[in-house]
Amino acid sequence: MADNVNQAARKGFLVDTARCIGCRSCQVACKQWNKLDADKTANQGTFENPRDLTPALYNRIRFVESETGGTVNWQFVSERCMHCGEAGCMKVCPSPGALYRTKDGIVAYNKEKCISCKYCVSACPFNVPRYDSNDKVSKCHLCTDRVSGGMAPACSKACPTEALKFGNRNQLIAAAKAAKKTIYGLDSLGGLGVAYALEGPPEKYGLLANPQIPTAIFLWKDIIKPLGILGFWGSIGAMVLHYVTIGPKRIEEDVDNKGENHG
Amino acid sequence: MANSIERFSTSERVLHWVVTASFFTLLLSGLGLYSRLFTGYFNLFGGGGNASLVHKVAGVIFFFSSLAMFLLHLRDVASFDRDDREWFAKGGGYLSRGENHFNIGKYNPGQKLFALFVGIATLVLGITGIFIWSPLSFSRWVVQLSLLLHGTMFVGAVMFVVVHVYLATIGNPGTIGAMLYGFVGRRWAKVHHPKWYREVTDDNP
Repeated sequence: MADNVNQAARKGFLVDTARCIGCRSCQVACKQWNKLDADKTANQGTFENPRDLTPALYNRIRFVESETGGTVNWQFVSERCMHCGEAGCMKVCPSPGALYRTKDGIVAYNKEKCISCKYCVSACPFNVPRYDSNDKVSKCHLCTDRVSGGMAPACSKACPTEALKFGNRNQLIAAAKAAKKTIYGLDSLGGLGVAYALEGPPEKYGLLANPQIPTAIFLWKDIIKPLGILGFWGSIGAMVLHYVTIGPKRIEEDVDNKGENHG
Repeated sequence: MANSIERFSTSERVLHWVVTASFFTLLLSGLGLYSRLFTGYFNLFGGGGNASLVHKVAGVIFFFSSLAMFLLHLRDVASFDRDDREWFAKGGGYLSRGENHFNIGKYNPGQKLFALFVGIATLVLGITGIFIWSPLSFSRWVVQLSLLLHGTMFVGAVMFVVVHVYLATIGNPGTIGAMLYGFVGRRWAKVHHPKWYREVTDDNP
């Protein structure tokens, strides 16, 4: 429950979308390091492939196509778990240790502790978690195994243009700010572990302008839950109070049937 | 049995206890799913995975038994008459120590409200339960809303049940027998449900 991220120690990405050339080395490197199977896809009239995250695809390049003055423009947006500072998935996960935060601030998971409830799917502001064929959670864990050993995540290691810069989040952001970049993911959701340097409004990149925990999930966890606990003890208290103040409605059974057995 | 009147038949009582047993199974297996504050309750079932499985099985049993109970009593609980309104106006006599006499039928308006709430809650919890059971088959907003409604109705149900248990046991001595072995005392019936008392005793003078 206590999801306190140590901002100073956080590691993450700064995705410089202007540098991305859409080569998808990151997708391949991720598959290779995490030993993920290939997904069968179909040509749907776009170079974007695959079209969505899957249990075996932790990251992908989303192609944003737009037309200006008769020429087609491509934006390449690296898409994966954002490793939120206040993570919706961790907020709802009922199984301790199934989704957890590493000392580097990464939202990692342990499939053996996942109880397949899929609450994380509903609570993610970015619709990232997927479930594998064993019905266990599956998403980018920022190569926790590599990072804990002092290495960069596979995708970032493979990126030929430094579009995916990995490192201390504060330092990455400071550098991007110094370079006068517009940064996405600075403060929302406790700061995203995956921040973006953009050259336009987030919507232009298909990113949520104001990402937040889904309203129904917020109401459940932050309003109904505390009120419910209050309501439970309140109703118990009210009954006890009623018993000792007004008292029970006692019925004298022997008024008109003296001497008979009591029912 | 001259001093007793049958209030609930054997089948009514069995159905009630099936609903009760599945309700408390749902409560205990669902607490850990409701909040991490209650993770310890998972241990009763040998972990969260089992608790969630038990929750689903108990949920199906509760849904059908509770719905059956509701439908079997729908005719008795869905209408309120002038005497019921007077009962409401005086809080059923529960707000003071003074003697109150209400001309109440088999169920008082509080019991009727409880039955109606349980009926609605059963439907809401059951339907949202299906969405939560298989979240990948439905739109995300449907499942999100279901999680909220399921939690809200759960809270409401627990609060109503606290009141229900109190009023049926120590709050109204003589009541619990109706659900244990089916009978209540003659005088209990005359005081609490005079209209019903006249109906059943006119049939069996």
